[in-house]
Amino acid sequence: MSNDVVVSAQGLTKRFGSQLVFEDVSLDVHKSEVVAIIGPSGAGKSTFIRCINHLHPFDGGTLELLGHTLHGGLKSPSRAVLRDIRTRVGMVFQTFNLFPHLTVMENIILAPLDVKKVPREKAVALARELLDLVGLEHKKDMYPKRLSGGEQQRVALCRALAMEPEVMLFDEPTSMLDPELVGEVLSAIQRLAKQGMTMILVTHEMTFAKEVADTVVIMADHRVAEMGPARQVLESPQTERAQQFLRRVLEPVETMEELSAAAGQGGED
Amino acid sequence: MGVAMHYVGVYAAGALKDFGLTVVSTVLSMILGVLAAVGRLYGPRLIRLLISWYVELIRGLPAILQLFILYFGLNQVGITFSPLAAALIWLVLYGVGYAVEIFRSGIMAVAQGQREAAAALGLSSGTTMRKIIFPQALVAMLPPLTSFVVLQLKNTTMLYLIGYADIMYEARLGVDATNQAGPLYVMAAIAYLIMSFIIGRIGMRMERRAAAYR
Repeated sequence: MSNDVVVSAQGLTKRFGSQLVFEDVSLDVHKSEVVAIIGPSGAGKSTFIRCINHLHPFDGGTLELLGHTLHGGLKSPSRAVLRDIRTRVGMVFQTFNLFPHLTVMENIILAPLDVKKVPREKAVALARELLDLVGLEHKKDMYPKRLSGGEQQRVALCRALAMEPEVMLFDEPTSMLDPELVGEVLSAIQRLAKQGMTMILVTHEMTFAKEVADTVVIMADHRVAEMGPARQVLESPQTERAQQFLRRVLEPVETMEELSAAAGQGGED
Repeated sequence: MGVAMHYVGVYAAGALKDFGLTVVSTVLSMILGVLAAVGRLYGPRLIRLLISWYVELIRGLPAILQLFILYFGLNQVGITFSPLAAALIWLVLYGVGYAVEIFRSGIMAVAQGQREAAAALGLSSGTTMRKIIFPQALVAMLPPLTSFVVLQLKNTTMLYLIGYADIMYEARLGVDATNQAGPLYVMAAIAYLIMSFIIGRIGMRMERRAAAYR
């Protein structure tokens, strides 16, 4: 593992019971690199990034991150290791997952106070600063229910950043949002990328992936179909599976016509 | 009716006893119930199994049989309780059986995403339970908990059968002495209604406060 590799997955494999989620996923993420993982649903993208902060254990392979080495299998890492990883890896979820019974401010300072034992004034000051960056300082005393989806997701981003993580994971951060709210969240993520944050994001926003990501990984059928520099993978994919997926995403209408033509002929696929 | 008025004093004393017993047994059942619910959900296999059997036992046996076995049955093998001790133990044992299930369903009703978000922030499982899961579970649990406390209050009417001198006991004595079954029982009924009304109002207040964020 070279010095600036922050996350390195080697042959990662995950099953739920006998159901294969993904297998043999290998990926190196360098400091300040932005990796976008795209692919059809059910390919195991979300589960894969959940394995990085060990929200899910994995079954096979090795994961090196932030100086820790985790092996797949039954033995789960010690509590101290888990805590260290989770304090240094931030995560933003598809469904925001803000704590509904806590105000915006309380959501953001909870973990810094409780896990990192940051003094309260410092935690509050950082939270204000982060909220200010996403234009939500004035909503700090509101409950999440009162915020729009886009606002909630920006607060969730602040909550993760308040731990001052070294790596950020994004699990489809905009797919639950109304189309007109997507932009505000994406621009906050983009700004973070520009500041040099190391990020792994699962997304369906192709344009965003092309503009922000350094590397794109296409996962399909439970494995990595293709991986490489963002533009290269998205504009001239080499593997047939990647080409097929991108065709469906980038030209959905045409693909629909193909499908209905096939259906007209009694095709099942 | 005039005769019945002589009983207001002893009724009030009896009612206070019932109410006190309900409050104390509720507090104890809740504390043990939370622990048992967490054990039932996250404990080792054996603990989970034992607690689920316990719930079946308490739920399956008529309340009065539990009381009689505890007080009269155990007496036969040399374990003797005072009526007050038996009453308290019975109410707590019974209460825990119900509280476990109420807490368990409340805890399970909290969305999985909340646990994931807490874990991703590095919060310990204890903190997650105390600061994230439990406050949200409480909103779902308060209505059944309120009904449960009222049920416990009503269970105290059975205690006169082991000679615990509560309101029901006084009513029975009064009826035997005066033959005024109508007024005396109605007075007892009113006393119970007032007490359950108070419990209901407290429950509603707590619900409103717990759900303020919604």
